[in-house]
Amino acid sequence: MSSITSQTINVSRLGRGILGIAALVAAALAGVCIGETPIPVTIVLQTLANKIFGSAYQLDPIDMGIIWNYRLPRTIVAACCGSGLAISGMVLQSLLRNALADPYLLGISAGASTGAVAVTVAGLGGGAISMSLGAFGGAVAAFAMVAMLARAAGGGVTLRGTGQIVLAGIAGSQLFNALTSLIITKSANAEQARGIMFWLLGNLSGARWPDVWLGLPVALVGLAACIWYARALDAFAFGAESASSLGVPVRTVQVVLIGFTAMVTAVMVSIVGSIGFVGLVIPHAARFLVGVRHGRLGPLTALIGAAFLIAADVLSRTIIPGQVLPIGVITALVGAPAFALILIRGRRAR
Amino acid sequence: MKLEARNLGWSVRGRPIVTGVDLAVNKGETLGLVGPNGSGKSTLMKLLAGIRQPTCGDVHIDGKALHRMPRRVAAQLVAFLEQQTETTEAITVKDAVELGRTPWLTPLQPWSPQDDFIVAQALADADMEGFEHRSWITLSGGERQRAHLARALAQQPQILLLDEPTNHLDIQHQLSILELVAELPVTSIVALHDLNQALSCDRVGVLSGGRLVALGLPREVLTVERIGAVFGVRASILTDPTDGAQMFRFYPAF
Repeated sequence: MSSITSQTINVSRLGRGILGIAALVAAALAGVCIGETPIPVTIVLQTLANKIFGSAYQLDPIDMGIIWNYRLPRTIVAACCGSGLAISGMVLQSLLRNALADPYLLGISAGASTGAVAVTVAGLGGGAISMSLGAFGGAVAAFAMVAMLARAAGGGVTLRGTGQIVLAGIAGSQLFNALTSLIITKSANAEQARGIMFWLLGNLSGARWPDVWLGLPVALVGLAACIWYARALDAFAFGAESASSLGVPVRTVQVVLIGFTAMVTAVMVSIVGSIGFVGLVIPHAARFLVGVRHGRLGPLTALIGAAFLIAADVLSRTIIPGQVLPIGVITALVGAPAFALILIRGRRAR
Repeated sequence: MKLEARNLGWSVRGRPIVTGVDLAVNKGETLGLVGPNGSGKSTLMKLLAGIRQPTCGDVHIDGKALHRMPRRVAAQLVAFLEQQTETTEAITVKDAVELGRTPWLTPLQPWSPQDDFIVAQALADADMEGFEHRSWITLSGGERQRAHLARALAQQPQILLLDEPTNHLDIQHQLSILELVAELPVTSIVALHDLNQALSCDRVGVLSGGRLVALGLPREVLTVERIGAVFGVRASILTDPTDGAQMFRFYPAF
């Protein structure tokens, strides 16, 4: 009897997994089809067949170029970025036991901005390093500073006082945002300032295949770490001491997972700029759907994050004809009311 | 299993909270720990549970140093019921009790029907059957305490450490929990405020100012004089005419 039950559970879990991946593929296809020039799904599929399986469908090379060189990598990067940021937000909310935690809390976004601005505007590295690399360097530097400050304040990634890292993150963000403003006002011309502004609000226009090969493994590694530590994350429900008494090596888990979060966020920010609200809202939406157990919550958070950012990217390209909006504007415009709805409905459900 | 503390101490910023505690609890024994507020009971419990690193001395389980064990192995041996641990997560009672299986599971050794059975048994032992799908935030203080106990039981420990387990409980559940703990074939240490309840333990330790000032049989340790010195109250011993059992009655010191 019990073996039958467990088999049913396995089958339904497998079914849910397949359903989720199917939904993600559908969202990605929609992301590739929809755009300023809509492309029928059959042409998209034929292009993919030509490129991946070496088929020989006769297609317009311009369509093929748009699909393969622009929309497909852009959509995949959007999916990686959405899932990476959402997973990072979920991990931080669980570890720090703070519903308002999100990846940018660790000062990563602010540091990345400073790094990007230092490279593009102030000419750091003399053109030898790209804006992405500058952003990554800035993100890592800011996180290192925040982590050290939290440690010096006697909290940080230790058993007690996870609140310290939140405060250190706020201080670090303020500092690096001020540095960014300083560099922009001192060195940037109006054109550069506008470009930086656009990048700061998130922009997928530049996403190409190399970005996919960077973003995809990082997002997958982040998800894998979160699934591996799912039970440990569950055990944090009653706090770090309780987790410790349940056999969780609290310090190791905190260092590893916060480290992964910092890495995932730094990479994503360096590819697409800073996109707000995904890391904060998506984990709450996923909790609302499947509850707080991380074995289910992690994959669903990644899935919703990916689908959400694909949809936000499509909207950012199509909502105003002839103009691409920063994707951060869309995520905030959609995310804020959605968050409000979740809060109100979540309250009623209690 | 035998739990042993030698010269155990913990201080924060140079201020000693627990100092020089030596004690040994034998297999199957129930030790009651009493002492006034701020006497270091909770800190001592956390040191004994291995979730706080002692600043001096050590804790041994069957001769093995607790603080050198991996947390997972330690949690398979020792379960700890903390005071006042709360959550804002929207979890159910079953979710909370299932956390007790954490030390026995790994990503490669997933949940099994055996774990379901253990959780059901733990819920029954803590008198929480039928509460499985209740949301945590709808529980009363006493129900939360019983759910925490069920979580500790689901850990299937050899040693059970309970920090004021009768807090928030109605009298029926206070008695049933203490009886359950006494009957379990595990070594247990129970921090208690009710000195009459401490009388039913196998042995009692008295903490005062972070030091273990007395350790022994309840009748020998809990004397009227010591209660006066440690707790600052007058006590007299009454005898129940129905069965001849003795109990304390307390009065303000002056």
